[in-house]
Amino acid sequence: MREQLPLRYQRNYKTISLEDQAKLANSTVAIVGCGGLGGCIAEEFFRLGVGKLILVDGDHIEQSNLNRQLFSTEKNIGQPKVEAARDRLQVVNSSVQLKLIADWFNEDNAAVFFEGADLVCDALDSINRRISLERACNRIGLPLVYAGIAGWYGRIGVSYPGDFSVSRLFHEGEKGIEKTWGNPAFTPAILASLSVVEAVKILVGRDVSLRHSWLHVDLLEMEFERFQLN
Amino acid sequence: MEVNVKLFATLREGRFKAEKTELQENSRVIDVVKKYDLPPEEVAICLVNGRDADNDHVLNDGDTLSIFPPVGGG
Repeated sequence: MREQLPLRYQRNYKTISLEDQAKLANSTVAIVGCGGLGGCIAEEFFRLGVGKLILVDGDHIEQSNLNRQLFSTEKNIGQPKVEAARDRLQVVNSSVQLKLIADWFNEDNAAVFFEGADLVCDALDSINRRISLERACNRIGLPLVYAGIAGWYGRIGVSYPGDFSVSRLFHEGEKGIEKTWGNPAFTPAILASLSVVEAVKILVGRDVSLRHSWLHVDLLEMEFERFQLN
Repeated sequence: MEVNVKLFATLREGRFKAEKTELQENSRVIDVVKKYDLPPEEVAICLVNGRDADNDHVLNDGDTLSIFPPVGGG
């Protein structure tokens, strides 16, 4: 069985079976935001062998992105972020399809942007837009893996249509404490990985761990604590 | 009455992780926020015994109040 997998996936076999790998290859994931979280999420999906990624971001690479954003380099300042993503991802795994949307997500364009998607990953840097993304996913009927980061800290969970977990956890406002604390490289990488883990479980049909609950991540104290949403 | 207050992330700076505090009967969540001088814009989630609660929620003896700041970046 293992030998039926492309060589690059064979060592994952006990974790991601042939059947799971086929499910991933037939899946489409939309990632909204191509910065700290979005870059790492996209890279992991490419290495996992998802069928297609839809990347949504209207922004360009800036100097200030270099502290954490995987696709930003000293050589691509000014490039649209989704194009910087393409340049890296296409040499990581050429069998994954990529749809680039160099535009900003809003509730009106969501249905068109996410056409064909099986789930959406929130990698936005605005609390208001994260809440708006949940409303859009609710309307379209897509599961959403959400995450927010600031300094040493992060928060992550899964919201299915009707759950409205994001609007309960992220109260209206544009920014949180990241305004003061920034986002050093390790925080988006860890929260992105946790997001991808939950997303993979959804795609292969395993039980999701963070629905109706959320994980508080404290990297300063190395505390990972789960709270129920009831 | 006594309430167990737990602070998370940056709210611990210069304060504490967990502390039992004496409060007057019928104290609300907002009274704890004020007592510890927590900036209102840095109070995003309040849980009382693990359940969502707002500023006006009335606390009871033995409750555990957990408070988290907003974390919005990506």
